[in-house]
Amino acid sequence: MRSRMHPKYYLSQEIFEREQRKIFRKVWLFAGLKTLLPKNNSFLTRKISGIPVVIQNFNGEIRAFENVCLHRNSLIQSAPIGCRPLVCPYHAWAYGEHGEVKNIPDCRSVYLVSKAEQQKMKLREFALQAIGNVLFINLSENPFPIEEQFRPHVIEMLESSSNLYDSEVMLTTFHCKFNWKLAYENLRDANHPRFVHRSSLAKDVTFLPFVNTERAAEGLRPLSDTSPAALREEMKRFSMAAAEAPLSNPRRLPFHDMVERWGNEDSYYNWLSYPNMHIACPNGGYSFSLEHHIPISPSRTDLEIYWFTTRKKKPYAFSSWNLLSHMHGSRLVTGEDIDIMEKVQMALHEEAPMPTQGAYEFQNRLVERWYTLMMETDHEI
Amino acid sequence: MKSRWIIGAGVCFEEVFGTWTRAFPQENVQRIELLPANDYTFDLGALDALDPGEGTMFVAFDERFGNFKRMDPMQAAMEHGFTLESFISPLAVLPPDLVRMELIQAAMERGFELESFISPSAIVPPDVIIGPNVFVGEGAVLGIGCRIDFNTVIRDGAKLGAGVHLHPSCWLETGVLVGDDADIGAHSILRIGAVVGSRVKIGNHCELGWARLYDKDVSAGTVFDTRYEEPIYVYGE
Repeated sequence: MRSRMHPKYYLSQEIFEREQRKIFRKVWLFAGLKTLLPKNNSFLTRKISGIPVVIQNFNGEIRAFENVCLHRNSLIQSAPIGCRPLVCPYHAWAYGEHGEVKNIPDCRSVYLVSKAEQQKMKLREFALQAIGNVLFINLSENPFPIEEQFRPHVIEMLESSSNLYDSEVMLTTFHCKFNWKLAYENLRDANHPRFVHRSSLAKDVTFLPFVNTERAAEGLRPLSDTSPAALREEMKRFSMAAAEAPLSNPRRLPFHDMVERWGNEDSYYNWLSYPNMHIACPNGGYSFSLEHHIPISPSRTDLEIYWFTTRKKKPYAFSSWNLLSHMHGSRLVTGEDIDIMEKVQMALHEEAPMPTQGAYEFQNRLVERWYTLMMETDHEI
Repeated sequence: MKSRWIIGAGVCFEEVFGTWTRAFPQENVQRIELLPANDYTFDLGALDALDPGEGTMFVAFDERFGNFKRMDPMQAAMEHGFTLESFISPLAVLPPDLVRMELIQAAMERGFELESFISPSAIVPPDVIIGPNVFVGEGAVLGIGCRIDFNTVIRDGAKLGAGVHLHPSCWLETGVLVGDDADIGAHSILRIGAVVGSRVKIGNHCELGWARLYDKDVSAGTVFDTRYEEPIYVYGE
């Protein structure tokens, strides 16, 4: 069976821009962790779909604004994470909690801007929503409810688990040379670990690709309803949250005593949030990794990796070493995935053969049915 | 003659023992290797057999002891039973400086005096303050007014400018250069080729593993590891 994913979807700048416009500027996207914004004036910055965004705590209210000063277009906050008032460093324009221009030094004498003009100026604000401690942003002027993107059990599991996230977070970024979609096709592919991770992960874990013939057949049929509501409903299927597999040999580790446990199941948990966030809990509710794939260009993706445990019962001396151990431990498998995806990207060209798809790839087939419709038609979500 | 007991394991243990016996061949330097069990506990029976009145002690573990970092990380992960899809998350092992501190505590509880070692070939001005269980290797140079807190290792040839403060449990490798009045936070590791600018402050628990100039302050917990394209940051508490 041929996949619908023509190489152009991984190569074309025009398609990349269409994705950004039709998907990334319409849907709810991972924006950051609320645990990193604990007090007044705590902020984080990032570029989302090409737009610089600042997310800031204003006396407990967390809001998202375009991080561009209305005077000379300077970044207002420049550090990735920090704590300072929302004041542009260039000429000290100060902004309030609704994005209003609170103060312009020497406004009347130097700028000759009237009070009425000043009151009209406001930073562009974006919709922001927290599910537990996970912040989602929507760049659309008319954002649809987040409940139309994620099914109730996905929201419940994310909320319940993330409410127990610890405030100490480790973060790094990999600059990957592949299209962001390859990462999620890979994550949904249970058949690759025994080959890509044969000397690592697959030594210890058996992944069993399975075939859902009904879903596989469904993925071959065109979508029957292409209304925005139906397309949003279909998109819900691409995000999941589940205890994926029992831990074959759960062990009691030293840091487990230092943190609260989420749940009581010795399972590997997985959250996949379409389009570009993946959370894993490898140890039955003691620590979490969060992968955020940020599309940079058709062939470039920044991969942010966060590690954090569940909430500490009390501070302990080696907590940052604990997170570093997690980070280094994940580095090998992450590197293997990055390597194979970069090889796929390197092989792609406009006339490359259309991929041959197995029935076990039914989940990817459902996603690409929706994706190609979005890319090839004027249908919107 | 009083004994000098070097206790520990690993590269640092061998290095300290070798350096000490070369520098002071006339002394009664004894090595006591202590390997942790699988549960990271130590059999301290060897310490109990010693009389604190008969000698002094130096605890020597390298900065990686007990840390899987230089092991095959997958092997470490397997040993710790992690199973997952795109990430392997290994056990948070006790960091080596904490291992050293655990043994230091055990030694002190038993009444042992912890000694520091300063190589005769190191240049150490008289006003430098050096805490217990500090190792200053051959050819190391310390500027005037430096303060070296306990349990810190300065390996051969590392050079510190004037007024440098190394907080407890630091690890400086050969070839490290630290500028005047720099402040290196506790438990930090400076690897070969790291150059810290004058008056720069490095936070606690940092690892400066990229051979480069660090001319701006580094926040606590930041790790520059050659296997990563970007630094690893820690935020929050």
